Amino acid sequence: MRSQNLIAMSFFEYKDIVEEGDLVLAFISRNDIKPIRVTKNAILNTRYGNFLHNDMIGSPYGKQMAGAKGYGFIHLLHPTAEMWTISLPHRTQIVYTHDSSYIMQRLNVVNGSRVIEAGTGSGSFTHSFSRSVGLKGRVFTYEFHEPRYLEAKREIEDHGIDVNTFITHRDVCQDGFEIQVPENFHNGDNKINAQVIFLDLPSPWIAINNLNNVIDPQMKVGICCFSPCIEQVHKTVESLQENGWVDIEMVECRGKRWEARKEMVRDVNDVIKRLKDIQSRRDHGIESRKRVKLEQQEDKEAGVPRGFNPFGKGERVKEGDINYSWKDVTKIESEIKTHTSYLTFAFKVPLIIPE
Amino acid sequence: MEFKNKKIITENQHALIRLPSDGMKIIDLKTDGKISLGKFGNFEVKDIVGYCFGQSFEILNDGTVVPIKSMSEQVNIEQPEDEELDRDILTKIFSNSAENNQNIINIGSKIQKLTHEDINELKESGASSNIGQLIISKMIEGHEGFDKKTIHSQQKYLKRKQAKFLRRFTVEYLNSAQLMNYYMEKDLNRLLDMSQETLGLMLNYSNVRPGGKYLLVDETGGLILYAMLEKMGFEGEVLLVHENEHPNYSMLKHCDIPEDVLDKSVKFINWLQILEPSNERIDFEVLSDEQISGLRGGKRAQYFRRLKRANDINHVIDSIETGNFDGFISVTTLDATTFLPYVIPLVGGSRPICIYSQFKETLMEIQHGLMNDKRILAPSIYETRVTPFQTIPGRLHPVMTMRGFGGFVLTGTKVIPQENGIQAVGRGLSKRRREESPQVEKTEDSSDTKSEDIKSEDTKSEEDIEIDEN
Repeated sequence: MRSQNLIAMSFFEYKDIVEEGDLVLAFISRNDIKPIRVTKNAILNTRYGNFLHNDMIGSPYGKQMAGAKGYGFIHLLHPTAEMWTISLPHRTQIVYTHDSSYIMQRLNVVNGSRVIEAGTGSGSFTHSFSRSVGLKGRVFTYEFHEPRYLEAKREIEDHGIDVNTFITHRDVCQDGFEIQVPENFHNGDNKINAQVIFLDLPSPWIAINNLNNVIDPQMKVGICCFSPCIEQVHKTVESLQENGWVDIEMVECRGKRWEARKEMVRDVNDVIKRLKDIQSRRDHGIESRKRVKLEQQEDKEAGVPRGFNPFGKGERVKEGDINYSWKDVTKIESEIKTHTSYLTFAFKVPLIIPE
Repeated sequence: MEFKNKKIITENQHALIRLPSDGMKIIDLKTDGKISLGKFGNFEVKDIVGYCFGQSFEILNDGTVVPIKSMSEQVNIEQPEDEELDRDILTKIFSNSAENNQNIINIGSKIQKLTHEDINELKESGASSNIGQLIISKMIEGHEGFDKKTIHSQQKYLKRKQAKFLRRFTVEYLNSAQLMNYYMEKDLNRLLDMSQETLGLMLNYSNVRPGGKYLLVDETGGLILYAMLEKMGFEGEVLLVHENEHPNYSMLKHCDIPEDVLDKSVKFINWLQILEPSNERIDFEVLSDEQISGLRGGKRAQYFRRLKRANDINHVIDSIETGNFDGFISVTTLDATTFLPYVIPLVGGSRPICIYSQFKETLMEIQHGLMNDKRILAPSIYETRVTPFQTIPGRLHPVMTMRGFGGFVLTGTKVIPQENGIQAVGRGLSKRRREESPQVEKTEDSSDTKSEDIKSEDTKSEEDIEIDEN
């Protein structure tokens, strides 16, 4: 219980040492990060070995930890919104970092911002928003699907981001965004006063009609609607225009990951040399060819390469093997996200006539 | 950030002006100041103060301004008589449009009867806001082929002419995104080709947030620094590493950050102080109160200046010696492979490093280097590109051209590798052996095998997945 506050803060500040009750992301591989709650006597079982929670307690964050039986290892990582995006249990399609980071940059989500997000979905963007607006900012998130709402609510409380994030079970298209704002979520009055809106809904064009009473009336407000289909964008743009939003622009954001690799340098002169080598063997005639065949078989059994073999033909050559020459190259990940969603941005500037 | 107003246009603050031509200007809103927008006209600061940032204005005949809904808006909010006029023009224009562009003649100036001389004459006839509209409508009258255009291309024509002749502007709050837009127009080289989306990606991957303590190399002259400070809301600390005698953060001159706020949240250190902290520490003899009161005016000021300098330098050297930074962010043309060995130990466990380059090849070299360095987990090169669309319902399509570059980001997580007892699972460690006699695998001294074990950990895992699933 002593560290209850610290546990609750893990998305807002770093800790150095793992304590019992911490949320730790066990990094197994790039695509396999397991969120765990460190519990005395518990064991994390993976296909790469078993890991005792007791060994984690007291370890520094970032530590490479050996398996309990001496094989396999994991890294004990501190949760961050970006790591969480990779590790979280998917309940819906999630907003990936290349999209979410651009949205936050363009809409200027900073310390103290007040944000509306609908729907919550798997809560990945909710975590990024919460982290970015900090303890002075507020996130109001809405989810209409009840099981998802309950799951997200539990997670928000569990991760301690409920200090700045308030989730409501609501269909915002039908029932709007207005809620009884908890007192510690007020700023000035008892309204939401959102400065940034993010709509990831099947029909954002309906929800847009309901925003007028929940946006900051004293400030330029930004919106981003996240829709996979162009028909949705069409309706969204019309609705934004009707509701007085300006500077409407739709964009598409694509993220790629590159990997540094090595490609073997295969010199044509070596090819010539090898061909000559083969030729000279053949020139020894049928008799010797028979002998060669025999040799070949023997070589194969003995595991010795036959003749001049500059590129390691027929052998397992590890990329970067010092016996060969290599050049540095890059390769794109094997599958890329061609399309996540269209991002439709717009802004609303309240007309304030100064005295 | 109470020291400046983010919501309302306020005197003695800087702001960004957007013009109909897509041009931008940073202005200082001095009390009683007058701002000149060149051919778009002049206005007085007091006339725009008190409106919300983001408000668009139109300059009238008498030099005063009125708020308008947006730059592309046809209707003037406070002048209903103009509204009539505009509507008339537009109705007239759009009632005569073709279904398609079959009959269009594309011969540029030949089709326009209105000459340059005519336009100049019109311009000189008065500094009226209506002049813009008037010129446009004259041009349309003089455009023989206008009714042969489709309604869509008529709209485009109108927009193009508006950009040229309308005396309108928008006043924006100067946040990091706007500052970046401004420099993209003005001096792209300073940004090292970085795009808005790449900056966003960096700020997120490096987990910049209020209260953090970051090590930053920023060769742009302060854009990255400003973006970080804005995200942090000036809570926490950025230690800016520079390669000169004095740091360059000249972009911050437009950002209205009071000196004491900057002093608190940004510290400066040069590479020499990072590489040789103990040599660079200043041993300063602190005088007693008595001795200080004995100093004369000039000497006394000098004493305090030197004291502050010594304290500042020793403070940053302390922070370097303590290390444990919450992240390392680098935007520089310096070769990162040459400084990473000194920087990696300064980053705390499980904290990110994030390196920008204009060139993928530069990052590739770094990634190759890091593959043999077990202290950075899963280093990856990311690229992100935003494609803007022409956003007109029914005519949505990607714009025809866009900027071709925006840079690349390498990011990874600082970890603490174990010297002993680490045995990777993969080829060479068969499943059977694992299950039957796991204790055999316990290596006491794996100094020979460790580099190989860890090196291609990701590949190993993938291999292992294959093995398991087959």
